[in-house]
Amino acid sequence: MANFSPVTGRYVTIDVMGDECKVFFLENGEGQPLVCQHTAGCHNHQWRDLLEDEEITKNYRVIAYDLARHGKSDPPKNKEWWKEEYKLTADYYTEFITAFCDALELEAPIFMGSSFGGNVALQLALRHPDRFGGVIPVEAADYSPGFFLDWWQHPHANAAQVCASGVWDLMAPQSPDEDRWATWFYYTQGSEAFKGDLYFYSVDHDLRGKLDQIDTEKCPVVMMTGDYDYLTTPEDGQRTAKQIKGAEFIEMNGIGHFPMSENYPLFKEYLEQALQKIESKAGARTA
Amino acid sequence: MAVETAQAWIDEFRRATDEDEEIQAHGKFYSCSFLLDMEEHEVQVFMHRGKVEEVLVDPGPLDERYQFALRARAETWRKFAEETPEPMYHGIWSASFQKDLSLEGDLLVLMQNLRCFTRQFELLRKTGVPV
Repeated sequence: MANFSPVTGRYVTIDVMGDECKVFFLENGEGQPLVCQHTAGCHNHQWRDLLEDEEITKNYRVIAYDLARHGKSDPPKNKEWWKEEYKLTADYYTEFITAFCDALELEAPIFMGSSFGGNVALQLALRHPDRFGGVIPVEAADYSPGFFLDWWQHPHANAAQVCASGVWDLMAPQSPDEDRWATWFYYTQGSEAFKGDLYFYSVDHDLRGKLDQIDTEKCPVVMMTGDYDYLTTPEDGQRTAKQIKGAEFIEMNGIGHFPMSENYPLFKEYLEQALQKIESKAGARTA
Repeated sequence: MAVETAQAWIDEFRRATDEDEEIQAHGKFYSCSFLLDMEEHEVQVFMHRGKVEEVLVDPGPLDERYQFALRARAETWRKFAEETPEPMYHGIWSASFQKDLSLEGDLLVLMQNLRCFTRQFELLRKTGVPV
């Protein structure tokens, strides 16, 4: 008997501001959709343990997609993308996510993303509060400058290794070696997209002065940040959450910027708290 | 720092590097020179094809042939060398973004050798630091 995983993969083609994007996604489970965004320059294997977690997937339909240009999602099929510099914008990114959720006909999905996925979770809560049952911005902040660097694509260095080793100490040293190295390995695969992703992360994403417009009555927000994250520190997460009326913040101890990938068992303890908070807020709304 | 103490650290740092499986598996082209400025002492390391070629402690002005340098307070280096460093003392990126570590010189050389250098930097958690 073959040792099959319960996780399945599919492609769906969506239109994103005129771009024809054939999107690869993995999924497992039943219940409220939990849509998961990987970090910049990476792909959906960061969610590998969540996707196979029976305790979570018995209540949630976990869906982890590859953003266009990442993993098995190619760049747009209908444009000469190689003739332009890739720079992800908040407009494009949020359009991509809503188009993907619409294509799968998801009802009130919870959106969870880490790093640039956490920042876009805040953007979704601001722009589309009616379309999501809640967001979990992980390692996110209102503004996160400083990582849109030329080093990620410098032709005189090994871009794969610069990206992978450049994010190495975003992870906590006590996270398991095999998981840190799996994450490192994923990062060797995404150097062509990494810098363009970080244009969103460090330049285009700027919600300073806008956080008070997020309506957590419509879309609950539970932020989580690891204490080994040097890019968006717990102080950054807390500062951001404080400016969103009704948002909650959870500090994660002993973990870094890629918590779901670098140490899933520890991350899960915090994720369960976040899901419970969103459930109770949703219950309070319908009561 | 006494001469014998310095030599003992150099010997340990050399042994840890030259016997490290990861550096030896991936360090065929790991050749560069760098300075570790630990406030109380400076350490200059010359790497050649994954092996420690030479280490100078407190080099003289005409010895300075390094390509890039890491500078931080002695206390910061002592925190780097803890078995499990506290947050923000767990790497050169975290400490340069959030603490007093400065990266100077030809940073392209650092980037070209980032994989092996990162590993060698973490060996300080085993060897300690000479400050």
